[in-house]
Amino acid sequence: MRALVTGAGGFLGRHVVAALLARGHRVRAMVRPAARLEGLGWPASPGLSVGPGGPGVEGSVGPGGPGVEGSAGPGGPGVEGVEVVRADLRAARDLAPAFEGVDVLVHLAAAVSGGEDLQFAAAVAGTERLLGAMATTPCRRLVLASSFAVYDVGAIRGGVHDESAPLHRAPELYGRDGYTIAKLWQERVTRRLAEQHGWDLTVLRPGFIWGRDHAYLSALGQRLGRHHLVIGPLTRLPLTHVENCADVFAQAAEDPRARGQTFNVVDGRGERIWTFLGDYQRGTGERGLRIPVPYRPALWAIRLAYATVFRRATKVPTVLIPNRFESRLRPLRFENRRLREVLGWKPPLDYRQCLARTYGPPRPAAVEGLAQPS
Amino acid sequence: MKAALIGAGQIARQHLACLQRLPGVEVAAVCDLSPGTAEAAAERHGIRSWFTDHRSMLREIRPDVVHVTTPPTSHFRLALDSLEAGAHVVVEKPATATFAELDALLRAAREKGRALIEDHNYVFNRAPQEIVRRIDSGEFGAVTHVEVLICLDIFGPGGFADPNVPHPVLSMPGGAIADFLPHLASLAHLFVGPHRRAHAVWAKRRPSVLPYDEFRAVVEGERGTAALGFSACSQPDAFWLRVYGERMHASANLFETRLTFDGPRPGPKPLRPFFGGLEEGRAIRRAALATLLRKFKGPGAYEGLWELLARTYRALADGSPLPVTAEHVLEVNRLAEALKPAEVRP
Repeated sequence: MRALVTGAGGFLGRHVVAALLARGHRVRAMVRPAARLEGLGWPASPGLSVGPGGPGVEGSVGPGGPGVEGSAGPGGPGVEGVEVVRADLRAARDLAPAFEGVDVLVHLAAAVSGGEDLQFAAAVAGTERLLGAMATTPCRRLVLASSFAVYDVGAIRGGVHDESAPLHRAPELYGRDGYTIAKLWQERVTRRLAEQHGWDLTVLRPGFIWGRDHAYLSALGQRLGRHHLVIGPLTRLPLTHVENCADVFAQAAEDPRARGQTFNVVDGRGERIWTFLGDYQRGTGERGLRIPVPYRPALWAIRLAYATVFRRATKVPTVLIPNRFESRLRPLRFENRRLREVLGWKPPLDYRQCLARTYGPPRPAAVEGLAQPS
Repeated sequence: MKAALIGAGQIARQHLACLQRLPGVEVAAVCDLSPGTAEAAAERHGIRSWFTDHRSMLREIRPDVVHVTTPPTSHFRLALDSLEAGAHVVVEKPATATFAELDALLRAAREKGRALIEDHNYVFNRAPQEIVRRIDSGEFGAVTHVEVLICLDIFGPGGFADPNVPHPVLSMPGGAIADFLPHLASLAHLFVGPHRRAHAVWAKRRPSVLPYDEFRAVVEGERGTAALGFSACSQPDAFWLRVYGERMHASANLFETRLTFDGPRPGPKPLRPFFGGLEEGRAIRRAALATLLRKFKGPGAYEGLWELLARTYRALADGSPLPVTAEHVLEVNRLAEALKPAEVRP
């Protein structure tokens, strides 16, 4: 199977490429034109370059050999190089050549930072361009990286957060942050196009993806200098370690049972904020107090402040808006039952192993060091 | 009045937020090449229809006013089509990529009896308007000189210097700074009138995809002189406007609400700097609080755009003079053109 992975240079993307390679698939990795390939953890070979003026072949497409573009590690025996396609979905004119010979698209590209409009353009207009190109090719299978951000956490009844939770809707949606609006619209646009063209779509909605250099999460509370206000210290976090998460993407890409399905991606019921933050502090050597604040009284205080002071304001710091506060910090029970039951998926790494991968000595970047598929 | 908008990106949100609050104005449609972007803008602002083709929109909606908020290199075609469809046009700055295109647009507007308004938003911020009020009342004295200096870090990711996607404005002479010339030129025009002579210096300090990151100019206007500048390398971000009159000086930061005046005061002359300093300190403290409060609400530094649109729609409705006339647009762009570097650098 050959997969086209967009956002391949990103935090999740580089691990998804590695997970696909570990399962024996061929990978074409789409990275931004200015992306650096060192340190991505897989052997890269030159491929296509799709500029705003149209596609141009940058070099021969083939296994890593002489002329390997930014070779990032030794490709072990039998490991084929990853073809690299350089394109930015916001500007590339003709993306169809990137789909040549591709059986499945794993679409991860989005902007996780920058202004609201940049995030929207990257996720939504970029997806329209990409899928518009896909419509002209024989590829009919795609896996989309959505996000927990699409759920309206405040509207969940019963305290269990699974795939049946309600999604954000207008007008409430537009009071949310740019990432939420962009991801919700990206999913909407993708579902419509998949239906229109009769594609097999799998939507994966990961919780908090964490791993080396990405272990501090917005759900950990509020930083006060080097100290932390831990709001709801016993609340469990919807965590998925990046290598576990990547394994789900690789399995969804190859497993026919995933077609037409939507899955929340969490490793299990999740660690408590207090424990996770403690492990973070031990792992990084950061010092500072963990100050516990009960969730309910904190929410009431924020609601009161909002109702009395900020109600008419149009721009308020995120943590002071009650519905955003709830989205970030509401205690819920997280379920990955569908992932287990439909795909038979178990996280390859348990929490201890994830801690070792995140805070332990760096492992050599090579395919043999990857999480093995379940 | 029936309004429509083409190009639902960042600045469009400011236009739409303002139009929603204007009495007697209905935004009937929004158009963007990306269907998701157009539909999201329509849903967000409660607009009943959206399009991906501007000609279909002009034909079906027949708007009275069209806002063109796309990247500048596409303004000409869109504005011309809108004028030919019988609509007034509010176009984001810079109105066109070349002066010849602007000339053609203004001619088309004249022939069709329609208005072409370029967004000179900072002219309508509270501070410049307050300075104009004092000039008109006579207390400021005649303006001798104006300084406008924008310090803005435009090297950040996703903006003008994005190494992944070349920004459309980089194809214009002056690159990213060309996007700011209308601000500088419109403020110079406001205080010293049409220019007679201008001399510009363009420079590059840092390695980046930008052809230039520093710009300075000296301008002789009909009523005084102007010193204009843009600095991508000076920090922190600020938009300094200093106006020198025969009796008073004014100083404002248009990214904030700070506005101070220094002028004649009663009492012995040796104590003038002392009392002047105290008063300036009070004004800056008040402005600091106002700047903080406006972060919570309203258009922020875009207050001028809201004021300009309110005045424009009022004028279009009752036939009174427009806040930005064709003559203004022509004279401001003539200055902007005179400031541009001779060649386009790759």
